[in-house]
Amino acid sequence: MSENNPLRDVFHAIADPTRRALIRLLAEARELPLHELTIHFRMGRTAVSKHLTILKEAGLVLDRKVGRETLFRLNAAPLREVQDWAADYSKFWSANLQRLNRLLEEEEQ
Amino acid sequence: MSMKLTLDFQYTTTIEKLWNALTDSSKLAKWVANIQTGVPMENDFKPVVGHRFQFRTEPSEWWDGIIEGEVLLVDAPNKVSYTWGTGDERHTITWTLQELGDGKVNLHLEQVGFSNAQAFGGAKYGWSKWCGNLEQVVA
Repeated sequence: MSENNPLRDVFHAIADPTRRALIRLLAEARELPLHELTIHFRMGRTAVSKHLTILKEAGLVLDRKVGRETLFRLNAAPLREVQDWAADYSKFWSANLQRLNRLLEEEEQ
Repeated sequence: MSMKLTLDFQYTTTIEKLWNALTDSSKLAKWVANIQTGVPMENDFKPVVGHRFQFRTEPSEWWDGIIEGEVLLVDAPNKVSYTWGTGDERHTITWTLQELGDGKVNLHLEQVGFSNAQAFGGAKYGWSKWCGNLEQVVA
């Protein structure tokens, strides 16, 4: 599924509201350092850093060092798994409701 | 809070015909199909509150091919609701039919109760909001 060979299940990674908020922040910004992410939460850097580690393990967050700072950015590709899971039910009904449409049209003729 | 799937379809038919297609076992067997194989699913559905039914298809490696449900609400020809269970998932499906005039009927599907979505429940973000963002993020 993932090019990053994740250590963690993406569903686990996004099960926590803080981590979903981190994904949201990183989706809006291109790249952010830890201290700029931390100001959005009522928790310290260490706690935010732990959440970022879990997101990294799921392949959802990438980081790189620039000077003394580490910058974090989103890698949204693993979220496709979540989308596909939800989309299966949608596909089931979309396909079948089109069959229903053909059935009703046949009955009219 | 849980994830909700909704779909709307418009059909050129009468509300009674659409109601029959949704609630008559032999009619259901003509359009509710296994979308992988296209083979219609056998069923013993009845529009009677409390009736327990099954839809069956060929089992596969990852699914026993059985959908089980119980009818929760029947309000002919406007609304029908039932549980819909496959594997570990226990959902509730509600169909709402509405006449639009000009020989058209709107069919509204609502499916709720996705178990995995419970894990997504956070105080701040509803699933629909999350899902909307997901579309943008993944795009």
